[in-house]
Amino acid sequence: MTTDESISVEGSVLTVRGLLRAASVGALTEALSRIARGGGVVVDLSACDGMETAAAAAVFDAIRRARNTTSVEVRGASSELLQVWEMFGLRAKALESVGRPRSLRTHFEGVGADVLTAWDVVAGLLSFSRQSLEAMGRTLRYPASLRLSLALYYMEQAGVKAVPIIGVLCWLLGTVLGYQSGYQLKTFGAEIFMPDLVGYMVTWEIGPLLAAILVAGRSSSAFAAEIGTMKVRQEVDALEVMGFDVFQFLVIPKLIALILVMPVLVLIADFFGLLGGLLIGGWYLDMPASVYMSRLHLVMLPLDFYWGMLKGLVFALIIATVGCFTGTRVRGGASEVGEATTTAVVTAVFLVIVADALISLVYVRIRPGVIM
Amino acid sequence: MSDAIPILEVRDLEGGYGSSRVLRDISFTVAPGEILVIVGRSGCGKSTLLRYMVGLSRPWAGSVLFEGSDIWSDSGRVLSSARRRWGVLFQSGALLASLTLLENVMLPLSEFRDLSPAVLRLAAFRKLDMVGLADFAASYPLEISGGMQKRAGLARALALDPDMVFFDEPSAGLDPVTSAELDQLVCSINRTLGTTMVIVTHELPSILAISDRVIMLDSSSQGIIAQGRVEQLKEHSDLRVHAFFHRLPQGQANDVA
Repeated sequence: MTTDESISVEGSVLTVRGLLRAASVGALTEALSRIARGGGVVVDLSACDGMETAAAAAVFDAIRRARNTTSVEVRGASSELLQVWEMFGLRAKALESVGRPRSLRTHFEGVGADVLTAWDVVAGLLSFSRQSLEAMGRTLRYPASLRLSLALYYMEQAGVKAVPIIGVLCWLLGTVLGYQSGYQLKTFGAEIFMPDLVGYMVTWEIGPLLAAILVAGRSSSAFAAEIGTMKVRQEVDALEVMGFDVFQFLVIPKLIALILVMPVLVLIADFFGLLGGLLIGGWYLDMPASVYMSRLHLVMLPLDFYWGMLKGLVFALIIATVGCFTGTRVRGGASEVGEATTTAVVTAVFLVIVADALISLVYVRIRPGVIM
Repeated sequence: MSDAIPILEVRDLEGGYGSSRVLRDISFTVAPGEILVIVGRSGCGKSTLLRYMVGLSRPWAGSVLFEGSDIWSDSGRVLSSARRRWGVLFQSGALLASLTLLENVMLPLSEFRDLSPAVLRLAAFRKLDMVGLADFAASYPLEISGGMQKRAGLARALALDPDMVFFDEPSAGLDPVTSAELDQLVCSINRTLGTTMVIVTHELPSILAISDRVIMLDSSSQGIIAQGRVEQLKEHSDLRVHAFFHRLPQGQANDVA
């Protein structure tokens, strides 16, 4: 390496010797602007062996600033340096805008693009659902084409492993429902109706919804991440060119697994929710378990449970489809996989609650024994 | 070259993955200003060795010395100061996808150079211009081709005007023309800036075109089986070396080795 630079000032002449490094270019630019305040400057580079690129840029910038107020003469600059400076002169303006915050106009453009994307997503989701239903039909016609081991694997991942968390949370919520409704009903001396409220709330809404939200959080994201990563690594393309039916391979096992486990998970959620009500009834309302049970027996229909399981089935379709679909939309790199998992959960939970509202509206109208 | 003080020295290095040893008794030096190419067949530990050389992993035994001091000594201070003086070009370019090319190249500059953003932008732009990407300063990595990403990675590796640049498989996945252009770029930077280059590759044309000196690793001996000028290695008596430099199938080498 050449010896490091030395900068000397004599009157209005600034001389640079040796190799000018970026780490110490500050001294030069300071000296230059100090001399420039008193009049014209001469920068003598004839003894300069070279400059690091950042140093060359800094000197260029300092000279340009000084030239706003006074004259700067550069002596002995190498032709290579002059070329670099000439390019800086041409490009400096254009570079100012690179990496700058977005202007108002680009913000509006962004909003428009987002709307178009949203529309694109809805259309995509609908066509994806149609394709997976078709693939589902093919599977039902030729059951041998189902990848059973994969389906069993997802049943374990999405179903069995979700039981503890669903059980605990539903038990807690059943307890809270029992306590809250008991507290209100007590003021009227009507705490005997607590099992009615807990029973309806748990089987109609809390059981199916909580199970669905937890499964969406656990599995919708997992499906999206799995398929998204496979897309990024071109595994999906590989399956396709090998002649695999990608839906059959990637979507159907997940769909079938969720369709089978969700109704069971809803039943488990119902059980723990009702158990929570029973326990709080005994502890807070002094209601014997036999009373709680006979009250449930009196007001609840088997249909309440079946309807909840039906909800679970619909939710399963939504969660699996949204998860897989979001995964297939991953195009770029690893960061998009992360985005896809978030999108999958949010979309799945949103659609589950919309579907729940619709199904509940129907149910209160068709359920026998409901006084409207 | 051999009598100059080495800029980098690897001494009795041993290392591997998990419990399986890949490298042992690796010793060599890199002279300032030379282009050293490390070659070997897939799985021979080339990239592992590079990871040890740039301090991404700590070797099991032995040491890596930068200008005479062990990079792992002085609780990491040697390594962090050495890192400001070398650049690394990763296989895929390893650009940050959320930043434009200009911002990617500005990244090391803004971290280690106390200069105004306008000056940093110019310096970063100069580097992009050197690798022929002046017109793509505002593009994002995903918008450009693999070869361009690699050139942008090189621009970033050169941002601090390093004394030394490490390359991991620079020509992997590039077409012959782009690959030749990259080789030319490497040679011209080596000539004009005197930058020392350590290149890990198995691309024969690259090795022939740019190397001052070649080190060949082989998995069967977990170490260096030959080193010297490329012309010497082409005439080497070890059949593993011969097979590599003449593109022969393994069987012919195995019979003897």
